[in-house]
Amino acid sequence: MYQIAIDRSLCSGFGSCAELAPDVFEVDDGGLATVRVGRSDDPAVLEAAAACPMAAIQVIEVEAA
Amino acid sequence: MKDPTFWILARASGLTAYALMTGAVLAGLVLKSRPFGRALKAASVTDVHRFLSLLALGAVAVHGTALVLDSTVKIAPSALLVPGLAPYRPIWTGFGVVSAELAALIFLSFSLRRKIGAKAWRKLHWATYAVFAAATVHGLRAGTDSAHLWAFALYLAAVGSVVFATAWRALTRTQRPTTQGGTRVPDRDRSLAL
Repeated sequence: MYQIAIDRSLCSGFGSCAELAPDVFEVDDGGLATVRVGRSDDPAVLEAAAACPMAAIQVIEVEAA
Repeated sequence: MKDPTFWILARASGLTAYALMTGAVLAGLVLKSRPFGRALKAASVTDVHRFLSLLALGAVAVHGTALVLDSTVKIAPSALLVPGLAPYRPIWTGFGVVSAELAALIFLSFSLRRKIGAKAWRKLHWATYAVFAAATVHGLRAGTDSAHLWAFALYLAAVGSVVFATAWRALTRTQRPTTQGGTRVPDRDRSLAL
């Protein structure tokens, strides 16, 4: 299970995360990425975090509740 | 006869830096406007963009060091930092100094993006166009090899590709959906988005 956080002060709205893991990330009307769900076991979140050009996504592996 | 090693190295590293910088700019534009869609991974393009930027700065460092070590043109270390101090074509070499310093600042700004904020980082990143323009003018007017057809072709190809990629970016800017729901971000909010 992964815990996901976005540093919105760094997000520049590239949208790569929402493309790679649309169940977890979305781009809001202001053009910045938001987290739809704070936790996910979708490995695509790792890809999304790596793809962020601003390195604004933090993913922490946590124990499943 | 003087050893021409450093003189040749200075010219070669200058052209190499320019080619690498052009590659870095193009990778940045590919990252922004995604002309190849999902065929190219954003993470890989980001890596290429940063790596080419670092290599270009490395080549610039070799360029400056070789010019100081060479005796064909007397260049003091201070002339690498202060534009206009070089006795050889001071205006055009000055363009090179300004370009290199601005490029280094933009490169370093990525590490400082938390401190300066993403908005300031984005604004500063626009200065990359000034870096590219200044480097082009510097190369064309101060470069020993610029009179050769092959060198001119290099500059022409570099400027042409950056202009083309920028035009692509400008033309596709409003057409790119930013959410999977299909809502588009209003233009006013994206005016500064890199």
